[in-house]
Order: sequence, then structure tokens, then C-alpha cells
Amino acid sequence: MSDIGKVRLRLPSSIKAGDVVQVRCLVIHPMERIERDKAGKIIDKKYNYIDQVVVTYLGKTVSTFDTTQSVSENPYFAFTLKATDPGTVTVTFHDTLGGKYEGTAQITFG
Amino acid sequence: MMAEAHQEAVGMTRREMLGTLGALGVAAAAGGAVSLAAAPAGAQTLGQNESVEAGLARVFGGRPLKDGASLIKLDVPLIAENGAVVPVAVEVNAPMTPQSYVKSIYVVADRNRIPIVTRVALSPEAGKAYMGANIRLGETGDVRAIVEQSDGTLWQIKREVKVTIGGCGG
Repeated sequence: MSDIGKVRLRLPSSIKAGDVVQVRCLVIHPMERIERDKAGKIIDKKYNYIDQVVVTYLGKTVSTFDTTQSVSENPYFAFTLKATDPGTVTVTFHDTLGGKYEGTAQITFG
Repeated sequence: MMAEAHQEAVGMTRREMLGTLGALGVAAAAGGAVSLAAAPAGAQTLGQNESVEAGLARVFGGRPLKDGASLIKLDVPLIAENGAVVPVAVEVNAPMTPQSYVKSIYVVADRNRIPIVTRVALSPEAGKAYMGANIRLGETGDVRAIVEQSDGTLWQIKREVKVTIGGCGG
């Protein structure tokens, strides 16, 4: 699983100033689910899954996803933001083991 | 260590050798279990192994959930063939101005062992109250979207999703 932490970010192909744009992002991550031993007891350990996704645009936090293990493996998220100025959209994924994965995309008006 | 095992295995019958390898495997598995138990317990704040009622009471503290059928659009499949990946999208038909906006969107899967799936905190810069995600569903049951507005009002909508193959396992 050397692909862990690969982030893909997609913007609409053409954006006009003032548009509300939908951004889609995906990260490669196992999102470990709860394991049980033979007796059906939950194994108590630190599971590795993404628990926070932070979206920033023009230096401001637009939205924050707090996630649990009920989110799929290789999680996909979609969100919107209002494109007021050209700038960078940054999506940062934090997992429970301290991993931090970042993806960026440029908003340009064309 | 493996090299030693191989040297010892010379002169053994096939059955004896398989037995030795099997014992090694068991020992390795036992070692693994011990190290897992020693790992620190993961304290979850948002998602806990609980019933949906307990989860909602913990997060919302018994505040009333109004019927948001006219306000919220919850986009989920009627039948999910694979519970491991179920696309969910929530759109709220509400203004996003600094005075009044949608503060957070919760996605709750009633029958999951961890019912609170995600909480999305939004700011007025989002322009529209929308979120999409792929979630896991353990079995057939209701999926809820709960929306909290900046004035604290809670709206909820739910829809049943039939799951052919569960995705939560464990």
C-alpha cells in the first residue's frame, strides 16, 4: 500500500468569477474497520483511518469534515465553494496515526 | 531464522515439515495478537460503537429534530449492491449568508455499529450547503441527514437503503 495518501482533486473545467463550484476529492487510504477476535470481542487498538478533512481556499477554511470508520475505504468527498478570486484550494486529510496528506488545485478564471 | 528452519527440515518427512511450519505460523499469529493488545486504545470522539439513539443523544443532547423534507435533499441509492461503498450526497436549500447559514451537516446510518458517519462543518464561503461522500453501510436500514443551521435549528430527513452485501464487517 505504497499508494496511501495519494490525493486527487478535481475542479470543473471552466470556472467564472462568482460561480459556486463543486470540488471532488479522493484519497487512497485503507480506513481500517473495527476488527473482532474469535470470541466476537472488539480488538482494542489504534485503528488507522482518516478522522478529519480540512478544505481551505484563499487562506480561509471553507469546510471541515469530521469522519469516522463508517466512511468507505479510499474515501471520496465532494463539497462546494464560492470562487471569488483566483487562488489555491487545499484539501488536507488527517488520519488517526498522525498522517497528513495534502492535495491542491488552482482556481483560474478562463 | 527461516534458514535455520530449513536446515532442520532437511531429513524430515514432508508431513513433519508441514507441522513445523504450521507451529511457526501459530507462534507468529500469537505474537501479533499480543502486540495489538499492547497498542494504545483509540479514543473516538465523534464515532463510537453505540446505538443510533445513544449517538444522537450524545451529539445533540436531546434537542428536537424537525422534519426537513422540504429543505433537505438526500441523495442515496434505493438499493446498494455493495455496502462498502455507498455514495451519499446532501444538498440543503437554504441561504448561505454570514447572518444565516448551514453550520453543519451530519450523515447518520442507523444500523451501523458506528452510526455517526460524518459531520461536515461549513462556513458561508461554501456558497451552497452541499456535501458528498462515499460511506459504508453494514446492513439495510435508514440513512439520515441532519442539518444544523447557524441559529441552532436542527432539521432531519431519512431514507431507507437496502443493502445486498454489508460493508462494515467486523
